[in-house]
Amino acid sequence: MRTTALPAAEATRPRTVVVGALLATGAVFMAFAALVAVYVQQRQLARATGQEWFPEGSVELGPAGMMMMTLVLSMVTVQWAVQAARDEDRPHGFIALGVTLMFGAAVINQFWFVYQDTAFAIDGGRAELLFYAVTGSFIAMLICGMAMLAVTTIRSLMGPFGRDLAHGVQAAGAYWHMCVLCYFLVWYVIFITK
Amino acid sequence: MTLTEPAIADSEAPPSEDGAAAPESSDEAPEAPSVLAQPFVTSDAATVGRLFVVTSLLLGAGTSVIGVLLSLGRTEAVAPWDLFGGFNAYFRMWTLYRMSFMLLVVMPLLLGVALAVVPSQVGAGNVAFPRAALASFWSWLIGAVIIVVSVFAGGGWGAIDGVTGNESDAMALTLLGTGMVIVALLLGAVTVATTVISLRQTGMSLLDVPPFSWSMLVAAAVWLFTLPVAIANLVVIYADLRGRPAIAFGRAESPDIWLQLDWLVEQPAVYIMAVPVLGIAVEAIGATVGARSSRPEAITVIVGLFGLLAVGGWSQDYFTAPQDLRDGLVYVAFGLAAVLPLVALAGGAAELVLRGTKTPDRLLDVRMLGAGAALKLLGAAALVGALRVIEPLDLLETTATWAVFHGVVAAGLIAGVVALRNWSHELLIGPLSVVVGRGAVALLLGGGGLLVLSDLISGFLADAPDLMALSLDGSAVLNVVAFAGSILVAVGAAAAALGAVSALRTPLTAESEAG
Repeated sequence: MRTTALPAAEATRPRTVVVGALLATGAVFMAFAALVAVYVQQRQLARATGQEWFPEGSVELGPAGMMMMTLVLSMVTVQWAVQAARDEDRPHGFIALGVTLMFGAAVINQFWFVYQDTAFAIDGGRAELLFYAVTGSFIAMLICGMAMLAVTTIRSLMGPFGRDLAHGVQAAGAYWHMCVLCYFLVWYVIFITK
Repeated sequence: MTLTEPAIADSEAPPSEDGAAAPESSDEAPEAPSVLAQPFVTSDAATVGRLFVVTSLLLGAGTSVIGVLLSLGRTEAVAPWDLFGGFNAYFRMWTLYRMSFMLLVVMPLLLGVALAVVPSQVGAGNVAFPRAALASFWSWLIGAVIIVVSVFAGGGWGAIDGVTGNESDAMALTLLGTGMVIVALLLGAVTVATTVISLRQTGMSLLDVPPFSWSMLVAAAVWLFTLPVAIANLVVIYADLRGRPAIAFGRAESPDIWLQLDWLVEQPAVYIMAVPVLGIAVEAIGATVGARSSRPEAITVIVGLFGLLAVGGWSQDYFTAPQDLRDGLVYVAFGLAAVLPLVALAGGAAELVLRGTKTPDRLLDVRMLGAGAALKLLGAAALVGALRVIEPLDLLETTATWAVFHGVVAAGLIAGVVALRNWSHELLIGPLSVVVGRGAVALLLGGGGLLVLSDLISGFLADAPDLMALSLDGSAVLNVVAFAGSILVAVGAAAAALGAVSALRTPLTAESEAG
């Protein structure tokens, strides 16, 4: 029996883009976790010495909770975009991408409101400085995530379809989930435990 | 294709003569870029690796000259502030010397070797992300230029005597350059790690990966855990610098900025430079005597353990009371335990020599001498590190800190020389001259040894914490010894850099291909 017509089995190994993105995502998470660690440590130090961290009532929980809910919803829409790219489903892919980007923009808008509401000055002291360092870093990370997601999804949906391009969306999706995890830290550490 | 023929995925396509993945067909082969354009457009990781290696060695020669001047300032021949034109200028050079050796010399040198060597070791035609590798080199180089220019323009990582507004701007630029360099190194590390994880030949498990590739995977993982913490420090410092007069943490008029970053060049984080040295030493010794370890899995575990003990983001003491952290059990345990994997690896290296062919020419080969020298210096550094964490010896805030640093740096430079000799084919250069190689190894070993010794003894003699060794040391002789050590290191680094540059001009020969 001739077997020459059969294709060779495909090599099974982890997906390169996803592995690279997960490593990079881990590095970004380490940087953010280190920032949060400095914040917690300094707050602990201030409390131990009887100093006030934020003035009473200056940081409201409402907007922060809305941001948390928005980002949790965005996790669903990101996975929607990933699945659409996998299925080569252009309409759903664009809708999912658009909704996710809108959620991201909504969070940035909400942060702008929080900045106006708290009216902190960056040179106001340790608490204010670290508040801006942590939240500002998060916003930068979120903008990077939005850009990554937009580029990879559009490349996947506008160009020739294929497994490799869907991997790009998966990689961006993994980064997005990490961003939401980072916001969970912000939400709990800065806004809930104040 | 028949079923009996092996399936070759794209990533496993055999490399062409220049090391790049083979094009799909000769009709589609793009026109090769000119020699001048190649560094800007190449997608060949070996070329990027060579760029990293040569540039970092040249920077190493420059940095070691700064080291000579700093050592001269420790002697009583001339006051350091007269030598550099002020105390702030001296402090700038003192910090530049340390940051430069770590971020601009040893780490990129070993990363460059990895970019060139790892793909062929794991059976991949190229690295996982060749364009990211090129971006890594250029962002690292631009960051390095920003650092050097801004430091000479009055920036740096803090100052002691007070600064002008312009100098504060230059400091912000130094922070930007530092961030760029760290991000670039992380990008390169991700590229190397992904190559090992995803592009290994089918059937090759992680335990089968050659020692150098394994050590780079461990190093990349450790870098990814450690260097981002320094980026977080940079964010806080930058916000602080720009948010003045909050004076929340560091002030531009004080060394506080440096104190938030100095953990990077102190143990345990300083060992992140040294993880690939272990892989290079094992492979070089094995290749020289023609033997393989009977327990390769033991080498894997040893390198992994050393990497684990090098994770150092947690060890910064600026935000806590220093004694809380450095007298703590974890810090002491990390310091003491770092010796163990090095002792075990020395045993593994000895086993290789015993199993291999022990002819005089092999035992005196540059690779053998260099691997032995690198392991000795690294062992000495780890030993000093272990002494340093023993509280009654009172060495923590003394020059013993820099004995560890100098030992690791010299070991890293020697490992670079060994790699140039061992993998000249992968690095696409001619063979490093034997004379130059032996000379560089001997000079770096001698210079590094003298620096380790003088810094350690100075640490014992110091009456009070004195990291800058300006009010030392009880003995002028030690400062002269340190000066001599710095000169030897500078000459050794210059020899290695010139050797690499001249090897670039030498065509590949049968000898280098066999090597």
